[in-house]
Amino acid sequence: MDVETVKERAGPREFSPADDMPEKYRKAATRMIQFHANSEIMGAYLEKPFIRQAPSIDRKLAFSAKVQDEIGHGQLLYRAAESLGIKTREEMLDELANGEGKFLNCFHYPMDSWAEVPMIAFFVDGAAMRRQATLKSSSWEPYAHAMDKVCFEEGFHVKHGEDIMARMATGSRKEQQMLQDAFDEWWPRIIQFFGPTDDKSTHHDFSAEVGLKQKTNDELRNAFLDAYVPKAKSYGLEIPEYPRIEEVGDGQYHVEEDDLDWDEFFTVSKNEYEPGKGQIDARKAAQEAVDWVRDTIEGDANLPGSQAAPAAD
Amino acid sequence: MAATEIELTPDQRLALETELRTLADDEFVIAERYTEWQVHAPTLESDLALANIAQDELGHARLWYDLLEELGYDETDLLWERDPDTFRHATLSELPFPEGEWADAIVRSYLFDVAEGLRLEALEDSAYPAIADRVGKIQREEGYHTEHAENWLERLATDDEGGDHLQAAVDRLFPHALALFVPAEPVPFGAETVSGDGAGSQYTDADALPDAATVEETIVSEGYRSDSLATLGERWLDRVVPTLESHGLRTPVPADGEITDELVPDACGRNGNHTDDWDTLYADFTHTYRELGREDATMIMDRPE
Amino acid sequence: MIWEVFRQEKPGDYHTHCGNVHAPDREMAKQFAVVQHGRRKPTESLWVVPQEEVGEVDADEVAFGGTTDKSYRWAMAYTSSTEHAKEVIASQQEQEQAEADRQRGDD
Repeated sequence: MDVETVKERAGPREFSPADDMPEKYRKAATRMIQFHANSEIMGAYLEKPFIRQAPSIDRKLAFSAKVQDEIGHGQLLYRAAESLGIKTREEMLDELANGEGKFLNCFHYPMDSWAEVPMIAFFVDGAAMRRQATLKSSSWEPYAHAMDKVCFEEGFHVKHGEDIMARMATGSRKEQQMLQDAFDEWWPRIIQFFGPTDDKSTHHDFSAEVGLKQKTNDELRNAFLDAYVPKAKSYGLEIPEYPRIEEVGDGQYHVEEDDLDWDEFFTVSKNEYEPGKGQIDARKAAQEAVDWVRDTIEGDANLPGSQAAPAAD
Repeated sequence: MAATEIELTPDQRLALETELRTLADDEFVIAERYTEWQVHAPTLESDLALANIAQDELGHARLWYDLLEELGYDETDLLWERDPDTFRHATLSELPFPEGEWADAIVRSYLFDVAEGLRLEALEDSAYPAIADRVGKIQREEGYHTEHAENWLERLATDDEGGDHLQAAVDRLFPHALALFVPAEPVPFGAETVSGDGAGSQYTDADALPDAATVEETIVSEGYRSDSLATLGERWLDRVVPTLESHGLRTPVPADGEITDELVPDACGRNGNHTDDWDTLYADFTHTYRELGREDATMIMDRPE
Repeated sequence: MIWEVFRQEKPGDYHTHCGNVHAPDREMAKQFAVVQHGRRKPTESLWVVPQEEVGEVDADEVAFGGTTDKSYRWAMAYTSSTEHAKEVIASQQEQEQAEADRQRGDD
């Protein structure tokens, strides 16, 4: 198939491994899905220490389940990316370990306290769910299929995040202040989740033309703001003065993009932001510590159904 | 919490609480340690499997803590605002993992799961109905855990390097696993859990408590558990030693051996003496609770039936 | 050799088990499958898998979903006073449907 045909046929779930897709499509799809898979792993890596911090048994159970789901989503997504024939899961995980693999901006920043948990678990996951719902219409069928499972499971993630926030928002003055401080710090990063405005985004046009993505960064961002600005307010959070957000229609919000620090965003995107580098390296060290296990089981060719596959960490 | 409908004498209640505390604390602390492997396991698939096991164990802990809650305690009394020295888990649960030591997770799980399986069998016909009612659910999940550990033992034992890791784990963990069969020092009743008429109030004073051996005898004579820990320990050795030996591993105690005091570390957990790592772990998992100034533990699910 | 056959009805669907065929090798198995399983029902694609390669675990051996309360991982366990984003509501509805199906299966 040539690229022109791909653009003509592009539609929800239109292409599958049975089709002979041009390299340009396969590389664009791999990049997109790999980024998504990497983000699941790095998000899980960032949140994992908070399983230990959970201040009740039920909360700990939910947190463990959530982090587990993210590893599961990573596994699904690496498979969907592999299906394009450009890279294996092992190669993608190696790239993630050595700093070449890209992932969501939010997961490059440190999380030090429980008050920051809802920032990721409610706002970032809420943003992700908005995006994932639209990706069910992606033209690469294995990716769209993976989104079915992800969307099925993620409802609990967002509600769990909201539950944590609700508890703090209706708690002591100290808790409410911690929550507001965390929100002030994370809000700009959350808005940048959707990437820069489409004029400045390098990959958007082709991905949209071949149906890999349906919505522009701006459309997704505005939809997110429309849903989540009122939610933040309903929990007593004050929206920071910058970046400026104005209501442009009934319940429709628009952010002044120049108020956001895009220099920092691009540094983060290139894996050059220090705390993010720290995350990548720490994860790499943890992966190397269990290399011996993979080596040992790879030698187990005789055990029924055995297959050594690379790690999350 | 609704008080249990069964009238218990102070000695009966002390015996019951002691048994429940060891069951609950063992499960909670090992679950806490297992969660360390989430996002750090050797493969994505093994990560998912171990997370399942961690959640199962935490679910079991919840079932046992719930029975203690029926005796008058809150989740905060039992975990978040509890003196760490009053925990009665065996030190096997609390030890940290050396970096990258997956073999430790497997050996620990194997030793623990077989022990729990044997103890649950001895609780199937407990004279305390609420215990007997819960055992079945827990047994089915523990059975799966044992199989998981046995599969991994086999996979890791296939080469010298894997075997070395396993042996190091057995050497380090085995003495602490023996602690699972040591009778636990009773913990004083919480003052707020003693009824107005004062029955059992003498047991709110640590110095007035009977010793561990006496309480252990009561647990068996009352029928809360059908076999003594010594008997369970013998059964356990009979099972784990031949299995480990079949994988080329040496154990410090033979299959027909006996668990004596000299073999168990002084800090074994059941006697209230824990390793320094426990203090660090406790401080860690209660950090947020304290930082937020919480006074109660959030519930998401209904209390178990 | 016996080959288990799985049919995909429409593009994007999962392949579902629909029977088996006897054949000495994969090529023959594919041909027989087309004849026996792909002619009358709507078929987008067929898979053939050697029977001995199919590993099975069933409800007698394992309690699918565990035996202790796992409601913490379902959206329905969480309540709040705010209106949820539509994709969160959709996820919860899917989960409620799955749970209803599972319970009907238990009856």
